[in-house]
Amino acid sequence: MRSRFGAAIIAVALAAAPLGAQVYLPMKSGSVRFLVLGDAGTGGREQYEVANQMVRYGKTFPFTFAIMLGDNIYGSERPQDFDRKFTRPYKTLLDKGIEFDAALGNHDDPNQRFYKPFNLGGNRYRTFKKGNVRFFVIDSNYLDPEQLKWLDKELAASGSDWKIAYFHHPLYTTARRGPEVEVRAVLEPVFVKYGVDVVFSGHEHIYERYKPQKDIYYFTVGGAAKLRRGDTHPSPLLSARFDRDRSFLLAEIAGDSLYFQTVSRIGAVVDKGVLARRGVRP
Amino acid sequence: MRSTLDFRRPLLIGGACAVLAAGGCKNEEAKPAENPTGAVFADFAKRVDAYMKLRKTLVDSVGELDPTKSQAEITTRATKLASSIIAARAQAKPGDIFTPEFSALVATLIKQEYSRRPDSVQETREDQQDELPDFVPKVNTLYPTTYPLATFPATLLPLLPPLPEQLEYRVVQNYLVLRDIEANVILDVMPNAVPS
Repeated sequence: MRSRFGAAIIAVALAAAPLGAQVYLPMKSGSVRFLVLGDAGTGGREQYEVANQMVRYGKTFPFTFAIMLGDNIYGSERPQDFDRKFTRPYKTLLDKGIEFDAALGNHDDPNQRFYKPFNLGGNRYRTFKKGNVRFFVIDSNYLDPEQLKWLDKELAASGSDWKIAYFHHPLYTTARRGPEVEVRAVLEPVFVKYGVDVVFSGHEHIYERYKPQKDIYYFTVGGAAKLRRGDTHPSPLLSARFDRDRSFLLAEIAGDSLYFQTVSRIGAVVDKGVLARRGVRP
Repeated sequence: MRSTLDFRRPLLIGGACAVLAAGGCKNEEAKPAENPTGAVFADFAKRVDAYMKLRKTLVDSVGELDPTKSQAEITTRATKLASSIIAARAQAKPGDIFTPEFSALVATLIKQEYSRRPDSVQETREDQQDELPDFVPKVNTLYPTTYPLATFPATLLPLLPPLPEQLEYRVVQNYLVLRDIEANVILDVMPNAVPS
């Protein structure tokens, strides 16, 4: 087991590594490859710089879709804002046919569910499947009983697929505002009951990877444009953390393994690893 | 997705019974019609239904919205719907939907729910308010788009009467707000609903 500070030290060391699109993912035939980004929609310079790294890494690691963890559009949501905060920074990816699958954050107008490029299909929550992976897009801003009933039903029906849930508010984080314990009280029992493997969240503008909590891996990937520098804190529950720059995550699922690497705004790899799904973990 | 109101939800009735523990609702099998809480919620449902009927006529005139690549289309339609709603409800005032009886009952439910939560949850709620708007919500106005929407306390929702999918509750400071989601119009406000 890594020491409390080991992950942070490694993260810092990796961040200082020479530039270059170093892909540590196996790129196996038939694997499910995707990008994870959170809290991206500022329209600011940093968003564009992070987007450039996504494009750069995408040349070596051709992912086919991107999951957005909410706060897709900050501030006003006029048509020109969607242009400046989404279609322009990700133009190269959109032109390549990369599908963006958004969750809603607390800064997002729920009417974003009608915006076709976000693929919510007019709904606040949805599920979709890629290969052997079933994704559950949850609206953690408003966990009404109808949504929970839907989640229960869909998880129960998801069979032996990988189960990945993603939504805006982190159930575990060391950031200043702390974990969303109320959301956790509602969602975690359902995740445990149905064997969710991995959860991705944003909201906190940092990167964190937790050791399995109740057998579930938790990632916070909320720094694709905004940053709260110094806002992660040492914890024995953490496997890795990074709060010195913006970041996003690349993931590949092949069989029972999920490979991932997290990349900073300057293109440095700040975390990487492989996770086994439930049932086949040592 | 939600489409109808269902007032038979056990949690809700359980919560309401707790509120009335000192007085009525001693018999769990009591018919809603004989239960003052049931009557208050039934009245709320009628008021929501009345709004939904009005809304339907307005939606018919501006059209339903389907997913589109054009944000301009979404914005235009939302603006038109909002204008129609605001004009049609020009006389709307606080308490039209959140009646005093309903407000008293719901404020008690919320207070009880808050008092049951540990400090850590309370602190989270306060932190959420950090990002929140420093504005006083007003009936029949737009929710200011310069502010984020407050995340609704997840454990509180099951205690409140369900709403059609076009509507939602929000907490803004210590107000409970009823909001038309697609139009972004504040339909009613309940001051002092949430403990400071």
